[in-house]
Formats: sequence, C-alpha cells, structure tokens
Amino acid sequence: MIEAIPQLLVNALALGSTYALAALGFVLVINAVGAVNFAHGELVMLGGFVAVGLAATLPETAVLPGLIVLPGVMLALAAVGLVLALIGYAPLRRAPPVSVFISTIAIGLIIQHAVTAGIGPEPRVGPPLIGTGSVELFGAVIARQQLATIAVAGLLLVAVHALLKHTRFGRRLRAAAQDPVMARAIGIPVVLTTAASFAMAGALAGAAGLMLSNQYFVAPTDGAVLMLKAYVATVIGGWGRVWGAALGAFAIAAFETVVAASVSYLVAEVLLYVGVLALLMLRPRGLFGEAEGRRA
Amino acid sequence: MRAIDRRGWVYALMALLGFAALAAAGDGYALRIATLVGIYAIAAIGFQLVFGHLGLLALSQGAFFGIGAYALALATVELGVTPLPGLLIAVLVPALLGALVALPVARLESHYVALATLGLAQLALLLATNLEVLGGANGVYGVPPLTVLGVNLAEGWPMLVAVWLGVALALALGGWATAGRRGARLTTLRDAPLAAPALGLDPMGYRVGMFALAAGTAGLGGGLQALDLGVVSPAVLRFDVMVTLLAIAVVGGRGSGLGAVAAAALLVPLPELFRGFESGYLIVYGGAMLAAIVLLPRGLDGALARMVPRPAPIPPRQGTVPPRLGVALRVEGLSRRFGGVVALDGVSFTVPSGRIVGLIGANGSGKTTALNRISGLDRVGGGEMWLGKTRIDTLSPARRARLGLARGFQHPEIPADLSVFEVVVAAAPSGEAAMAALDRTGLIDRAREPAASLGPAARRGLDLARALATGPSVLLLDEPAAGLTAEERDRLSSLLRRLAREGRALLVVEHSMDFLLPLADRIICLDAGRVIAEGTADTVAADPAVRTAYLGREVVS
Amino acid sequence: MSRLFHTLVAALVVMVTAMAARAAEPVSIPVLVPITGFLALEGTAQRNGAVLALDTPPAGVSVTYEVSDTATSPEVAVTALRRALDRFDPVAIAAPIFGTQMLAMAPIANRAGVPLITVSGTAKITELGHDVVFRFFPTDAVVKVAQARYAVRELGVKRPAILYQTTAYGQSGHGHLVRTLAELGIAPVLEEAIDPGIKDLLPALERARAAGADGLLLQLHSGPTALAVRQAHGLGLGLPIVAGSAMHQPSTAALLDPAALKGVCAETASAPIADARPAVKAFAVAFEARFGTKPDAFALGQYDGVRMVLAAVAGGARTAGAVRDWLAANRYEGLAMSYVSDGTGNMAHDAIIVCYDGNSRVPRIVKRYDAVDGIR
Repeated sequence: MIEAIPQLLVNALALGSTYALAALGFVLVINAVGAVNFAHGELVMLGGFVAVGLAATLPETAVLPGLIVLPGVMLALAAVGLVLALIGYAPLRRAPPVSVFISTIAIGLIIQHAVTAGIGPEPRVGPPLIGTGSVELFGAVIARQQLATIAVAGLLLVAVHALLKHTRFGRRLRAAAQDPVMARAIGIPVVLTTAASFAMAGALAGAAGLMLSNQYFVAPTDGAVLMLKAYVATVIGGWGRVWGAALGAFAIAAFETVVAASVSYLVAEVLLYVGVLALLMLRPRGLFGEAEGRRA
Repeated sequence: MRAIDRRGWVYALMALLGFAALAAAGDGYALRIATLVGIYAIAAIGFQLVFGHLGLLALSQGAFFGIGAYALALATVELGVTPLPGLLIAVLVPALLGALVALPVARLESHYVALATLGLAQLALLLATNLEVLGGANGVYGVPPLTVLGVNLAEGWPMLVAVWLGVALALALGGWATAGRRGARLTTLRDAPLAAPALGLDPMGYRVGMFALAAGTAGLGGGLQALDLGVVSPAVLRFDVMVTLLAIAVVGGRGSGLGAVAAAALLVPLPELFRGFESGYLIVYGGAMLAAIVLLPRGLDGALARMVPRPAPIPPRQGTVPPRLGVALRVEGLSRRFGGVVALDGVSFTVPSGRIVGLIGANGSGKTTALNRISGLDRVGGGEMWLGKTRIDTLSPARRARLGLARGFQHPEIPADLSVFEVVVAAAPSGEAAMAALDRTGLIDRAREPAASLGPAARRGLDLARALATGPSVLLLDEPAAGLTAEERDRLSSLLRRLAREGRALLVVEHSMDFLLPLADRIICLDAGRVIAEGTADTVAADPAVRTAYLGREVVS
Repeated sequence: MSRLFHTLVAALVVMVTAMAARAAEPVSIPVLVPITGFLALEGTAQRNGAVLALDTPPAGVSVTYEVSDTATSPEVAVTALRRALDRFDPVAIAAPIFGTQMLAMAPIANRAGVPLITVSGTAKITELGHDVVFRFFPTDAVVKVAQARYAVRELGVKRPAILYQTTAYGQSGHGHLVRTLAELGIAPVLEEAIDPGIKDLLPALERARAAGADGLLLQLHSGPTALAVRQAHGLGLGLPIVAGSAMHQPSTAALLDPAALKGVCAETASAPIADARPAVKAFAVAFEARFGTKPDAFALGQYDGVRMVLAAVAGGARTAGAVRDWLAANRYEGLAMSYVSDGTGNMAHDAIIVCYDGNSRVPRIVKRYDAVDGIR
C-alpha cells in the first residue's frame, strides 16, 4: 500500500542524522557537567537562524550555499556554547546540578525571545547544502538535499568519534566525564575539557540547525521539541553513552516515520512516550545500558 | 522536639511587605497578580515534597496542576458539581494518579525519573489536546466562579483570601508531612540512599505518599486557577507551568515551603514589571531568572539559613533501646560473581549471639561483598542466610533491618543538613531510644550540633549510634577502627565487647589485626571468595595459609 | 436682556470649549495580542495592523495605546486584560486571535462593558451571549465553506484528504470543513491531525496518496503549510491543494520556490498584497514601510476593526459602552470589506480564494464568496 518507502526511509535517515547531531551535543554536556542543558534545543534553533542570516550575505548565484556557511554556523554556535558555559554553568559548578536546569532554561528563554523580538516570529528557510533538485534512486525521487544531509551529518559523526577515541584531547574529555575529581587529581584541566564540551555541543547543534532549517524551516518556537527529542534519544541510548544517543536519535526518527506513515502521527507520538516509559520500567538503565556502573 | 525557628520572623516580615505593596496598589490587577502568586505557591509547596524532600526531579508536577484544573472544569461544567466539592475532586484525582505514577517511577534513578515524568506530562498534554471529551485544543470554558455559602468569590479580595487560605493549608500539610522524625527519615532517604535501607527505611512507602500529597497540592492550585480563569485549556499542561514551579522551588530553596511562597512572590509578578518592553519582556525575565539562580544557588531559604541557621530540635531525655537479643546469624554457601570474577564462592559461617566474629582477608577477598549480601544491599547470587529461625535472603534490606540486622559502613553516609540527634532518630523507634544510642557512643553531649561539623572519628561513632538505635540483635561493622587514634580504638573495643556481652551477635570486618585479634572470639579468613581458615585468633593467626595469603604482607608493611 | 444673552453666550462658549477639550482628551485602546509563542506570527500581524490604525487616527481623535503580550495561555491574557481595564480605562481593546484566550477574556470584558476587537476565527467566542466581542475576520463557518466549495465545485475534488493542526485553529477549521463537505455530499478519505512540532509531513502525504485522495485540504499554520506544499511538490503528487488562510500569509509563500506554489490555492478574508484597489495598495505600502514586512489578512482585519472603533469615537462615542453600541448598530466600509454585525458581533461575512500561478509569490484573487452566512 505504501509506495514511497525509499523516500520515507531516506527522510527518516536524514531526520535521524540531524537528531543524532543534536543528541550528541546534548550528551557531551551531560558527560562534562552531569547536568541537562535545557537550552540545547534553542541552540539548534539558533543555528538555523544563523544559517539563514549568513546565507543572506552570499550572492544569489552561490553554489553549495549551505556547505559554505556550515563552518561559520558551527563556529558561531561554538562561541554561543562557550558563552552558555560561562554564564549558565561556571557560576553554578559548585551548586546542586538542578541549578543548571534553571540557568539553562533561563538562557533558553532569552535566546528564544531574543530571536522573536530581534528577527521576527516568521518561520524561515535555511540554505540548501548543495542546491536544490532531486535524483532518481531505486525508482524513487529523492531530494539531493536529503542525501547531502545524511552525508554531512555522517561525516560529522565520524569526525566526533575520531576526536573522542583517537586523540589525547578525546581521552582527557572522556576521563574528565567519568570522574572529574580523579581527572583533576591527575592533572587534566577540567575547566578546559568542560569548555570544549560546551563548544562542541554548540557546534554540533549549529550543524543540526542548519540542516533542519533547509529541510523543515526554522521558527523561534522550535527549540522545545528538539530538546525533548535529544533527551529521549539520550535515555534510549543509555545515559552518558555518546553513541547510544546517536543510535537513539535514529531509532526515534525511524519509529516516528514508520508509525506515522502506517497509522497516524498521534499514534506515533503516544507510542513513542508510552514506549519510553515501558523501556524505563523494563530496562531502567536504557536500551544499551549506562556508560558506567554506579559505584556503591 | 520543636525549637523556635527565627527564620519565621524574616518570612513574616516579607509577608507584611508584600501585603503593604498590595494594599498600596490596591486595584484588581494587583489583586489578580497576588492571587496568581498564591496559586503557583500552592503547587510549588507540593513540589518541594518530591523535589526537595525526596530529591526526585519529578517533572510531572505541572501536569498534575493541569489535571487538577481539568478535573474541576469537567466536574463543574459537564457533571454540574458545585465549585467547592469540585475543588475536592481537583485534589483527589491528581493525588490518586500521583500515587499510581509513584509506584513504577519511584523505583527509577534520578535522571530517569525526570524523563519518565516528563513523558507522562507529554502524554497528558497529547490526550487533552486531541480528545474531544476534554475539549480539544480549545479546552473547557464556562467554569463557574467559586461560591461559598452563596457568596461569590470570583474576583478581587474574596478570591485572593480563598487562594491564600489554600496556601496556608498547603504549608500546614507540607509542614506536617516533613516534621520531626518523619522529616529526618526523608532527609536520610534522600542524602543517605545506601544507608537508609540498612537502617530499616523503605523508600517506596514514603515516595508513594509524598507523590500523592504533592500531586494533590498541585491539583488544588490547578483547581483554583480554573475557578479563577473560568476556562481550562491544554496550556495548563504545557511545560511552561512546570518550568515556573521548578524555578520557584529552586529559587525558594530546596525543600522549603515558606521559601517557595517567597520565591513565587518574587518570580510570578516579575514578567509584569517588564511589560514596558513589549515582546522583549521575556528576555528580561529570563535574565532575571538567571540572575536569581546565580546569586542564590541554594535559594532564598538556603541564603537565609546562612544568616539565621535553622535551630536543631531539642532532644528528649534519654531512654533505652530494647534490643532483640539471642538471635544468631547463619550463612550457608554464599556466592556471588561479577562477570567472570568470583567474589564469593560457597562461604558458610555462623555468628552466635553474644560473640564477636572477625572477618579478615586481603583487599578484594570478598569481605565487603559478604556484608552487602548479608545486609541485602546486594541481592544477586546464591546461598542461604538465616537470622535466627527466619530465612532472610529473599527479603529487602529494610525488612532485614526491621528483623534486627543492623550495619555500619566503612564510609558512612551522613545527611549534612541534620543535627546529630536527627541523624540517629531517623533510625530509632523513638527520640528517647535515639538518645540512649548516642549515649553509648559518647555523642550525647553533641546531640544538637550539625552532623556536618563532626570529625571522621565522630562520624563513625554517629554511624554506629544510628545502627544501634534500630535495636539490632545482629550488628555488621565494616572497618570500624580505621582512622581512629589508639585511645578511640580502646573505647570502641570496650563498647563492642559490652554490646556482645548483652547478647548481640557482631560480625566485624577489619584490616587492623592489633585491634581485631584481641577483640574477636573467632576469626574467619577469606581469600578469593573462599573461607581458608576459621578458628580462634591464635589458631588463625598461626595458620600458614593465612600468613601467606594475608597476614604476612600485613606484617611486612 | 442683553446681559442675559451675553451670559448665555458665555455659558455656551464655556460648554463648547469644555466639549472640545473633552473631545481632544485622548481615549485609550490597549493592544493585547500574542507576540510571543506559537501564535506570534499571527499576533504580530494583529499588533502591526492595530498600531498602524492607532498611529493615524481620524481628525479630532486623540488616542493612547500600549501593546501587551498575551503569550500562549488564557492566564496571561486575563492578567493583561485586568491590567488594561484597571490602569487604562479603555474604550475598546484590540484582543487576541487565540480563541481560548478570547473565551477567558470575554466574560470579564462583558462585566466591564468594554468591547474586544479581534480577528479570531473560533466560532464559539461570539456564541456565549456576550455583547462585547466584535470579530473583524470571517469565522470558520464562512471561510471553511469557501475553501470546501472551491475545492469541490471549482476544482472537482471528490476524494479530499484533510491535514489539520492539533491547535484550536486546526481543530475548529477541520470541524467546519468536514461539515461543509458533508453538505456537498463528499466524505474525506483521510483526516490527519498533525502536532505543530512535527517536522516531516511526508508520512501524511504518503497516506493521502495511499488513500486515493484527489485533492488536499490544509488547515495548518504557516510553516507546516509551506512544508506540506513543498513536500507534495517534491513527491510529485500533482494533487490540487486548497489551503487555509495561513497559506495566504506572505511569510508562508516566502518559504517556497514559486514553482512549488503552482496550482496552490487558499481561502482568506482578504489578500492585501494581491488586491489592486488603490486604498488597499496604499495600506500595503504604508504597512511595509512601517514594519518591514508585508501585511496579511489578519493585519488588515485588525486594522479595519480598530479604524471602525476610531470612527465610532470620532462619531461621538466617548465611552466603552457607547463604542460597543456604535459597533453593534453601524455599518463600516473597511479596506477589506464592508463590516456589519450579525447581532452577535460577527462583523465579516465575505471570503475570497487566492491562487498562485507558479511564477510569483504574490497570489491572484480568483473567487469571491460574499455574504456566505447570509448577512449583507
């Protein structure tokens, strides 16, 4: 009955890869400071608007407008991530973790309403990564932008993986995440690894925002939903597991697309939350287990 | 047990100032803001019970607020219930749901509680938005105003007074639920999650009760809001309400009901102050919220507690702890594996009443694992455990503790916010029993001091007092002499001897041989999860296997 | 005799000056609209329409106003209303497009006797028996009739699929669409509710195709409307699309390539950027010069509504009660249409259909449905 299976799959993969970038940034901050960054959705949204703004400075004839502005967007959002760490986390690093909840909610409010007041409430369309148009694949018409999104997001995921796994910086980052006290004791500059985590979270959010803004537009109120998706992905993937979060993001996107295409959006949404609750009851440490066992 | 809390005066002064400001403005707008402050304060006072006292970030409180509002609206508009009984429904429906939610959710760990409750709130929002019986996205309108004995309390001063009576009720309920011994137990459950079950405290009952109370309070706030507005829409179920309540609780100070009221009075009118900025007012509001949390990371109440410390309760006179004596501990074939590592391999022994048994072995030989298995903190693995004639290996740690099994910890978790007396009374059947336990460990003169001010030796004494206060027949101790001076060790030795002489069974894990060998009646030596020697101190100390496995190295070092 | 005459003349002069002074005394018309949150786009259009009218009052009328956000909840709206009533003594209030907020505000405004001027489409707000709600935008009972009739009668759609948002706007529109289609003897093959947070609309479009739909009726907000149009175009569905009023908003078309808009139509009350009448053109130019964005029908409706209030003030209605009675009793020739109350405060009774030709983001007005509810 469903004819557009290839399109749906490609869409789910493209959506999942942008969710994965967002979830990755979310979990990096969780690992760095042990607290949830409630402004993360707003960072993704802001990334979309920065992409729109930067693309407007390009000449009309520019090819690959999205790819050209991508480094700029990531850099700008990395800076925003640093500012977030500076004003939202640094003053509260000795306070209870839930204080960071409040400070990031407050910063999220500021970002959302600054965009509404400064740029306007209209939804905007971001630059396409590699121009418009579509290609024929397996007898289906697939938007080139979708394929480019999957490719670019995939490259970024691999790059982050390499950075965390194979560099001294990455090892320090992981060590500091596992045990900040011990890390400090053996001379790892925890301040720097924390700042780097926030900057990377911002940069990845920016990339996700850019890609979403072209495919699905961007409006100032988009943040909350994205933040919720990242949160759910993180829990499905196992709290603190970087790759679990990315996998969780793909799982969400695939689930939503499949159920929405075969039953309805409402059922997809209800089942997603019911599923998460059931998962928490049956496997209280996430689908893929937690990053590290709790010490007694 | 009550001592006068001078912080009450500060809050009274704040209330007076707030009232003066209200009377000075005096128009319907000011009264409406003050009414809203009260409505959110009610729900936030309830939130303090789960968030502050249980330490659970339950993001469902906003949804319970909304469910209360919907319950009232549907009861009055669809079923024709009058507003006053409608309010009762607005309290009971969320309270019941809260208890139901608590059963599965309360088993979860911190951040999963947050997501599970957020998921439930999202489901409530989805249902309200999409179900026609609930009014869909437009919600329910035409909710009648609150009338009491025929007097219409729709607006202005009457509604304000009604709402603030609700605030008083919520404060009273919250105060009752967290006062005295129950309050100390809640703090112990929150700040000493590993020690609490070993002291006989079962988190489930408290969690279910507190969830229900918190949800009911949220429902009261929501019901009052429905009466105040006359309409209920899915907006009451959106995350915004939860954010407001969370901000109020955090800015108010963890667990503090009065702090929540003060924070509500600060945060709810805040956006109104910046109305002149048109669409920018929420930017300024966000900035103000950020400033509040940065300047007051422990909240208004926390800041106030620095200036005016909370007085410790005045302890009662000393009584006695009736021990359950003459019960032996017996374990048979205890085993435990961690992955491929065998931590315990068929360990069997008996600790008779009136005796002290020492458990020795190198690091990683399975001593603490054995204590965890016996006390029930670790319930995985094989073997049988008996407390007298009761088989305990399927029981929860709290049940075992209530049967007379107590445990001290190598690194005791002591709630920092409690006084010495409160730490012990949390585990005791009465205040008098707690004082008796403090007396035995020599801490009775420090009963009113903050537990956080104790040094390492005194902390272990406090941990022991807490264990004794449960009235145990069997006492498990994990390196009780570590870090003590010679004089303190002597005192501990004679205390342990007395405790045994009175008829208790003591199992002591210890590294320090010059402490343990003269103290213990029998010694059991573990190596790689097996018992390699058992007997009197002299025979075990002379055992060549023990010397190779353990003592030799100890002597050399 | 002459002294008496002089005294009378002097008294008359004093009275006239007093009246003149009173006439010059400013009246207050606060603007309470959602300029943050998920209705910020529509609310900002309202705000701008109202502000444009209030900044250029007719001769002899002086007016003060303040804009307050009503955000997304009835609670904030009621607080804003309370503030406006208690602090500004208004003769009328520009009120939110968000129907739920109107339902909460109407009883309070009714008690105070202050008229609420809105462009909300929610049918219920004028059905509560209050006489203070004045709606300067056709209700869903008017525009949805136009949308359904155009799809069925002009485009020959027989198996429509309806995609609607799970908001008050979407649900109310969906209900009226289904009712009108039933009157036309048509049953939709798919009715899909879509949360505003949903990103990908391909599953819905795919289900419409699987259900054998021969036309799409959209009742979505701006961004999702554009997304549905673009994804339908990308999928090569080739189905005619008749969208709700969100499609006519210039910010919606701005999201799309003109080519994707080919054959897309939408219902609306007016289309200021497509209207060739000089007065409307002048309005559109002034609006864009002032706010940097193009006006939509919500902006024009709110502009017309506030202008009618100002006309009432200029006509001698100096109190809230007098303005209310004037609005209820008089006809007003606005820019979008001619407004007259049906007795419950519904002032607008005409709808239009606009379509895009695939070359431009400015639509053409292709069909007028006047006096759909029988009121002329």
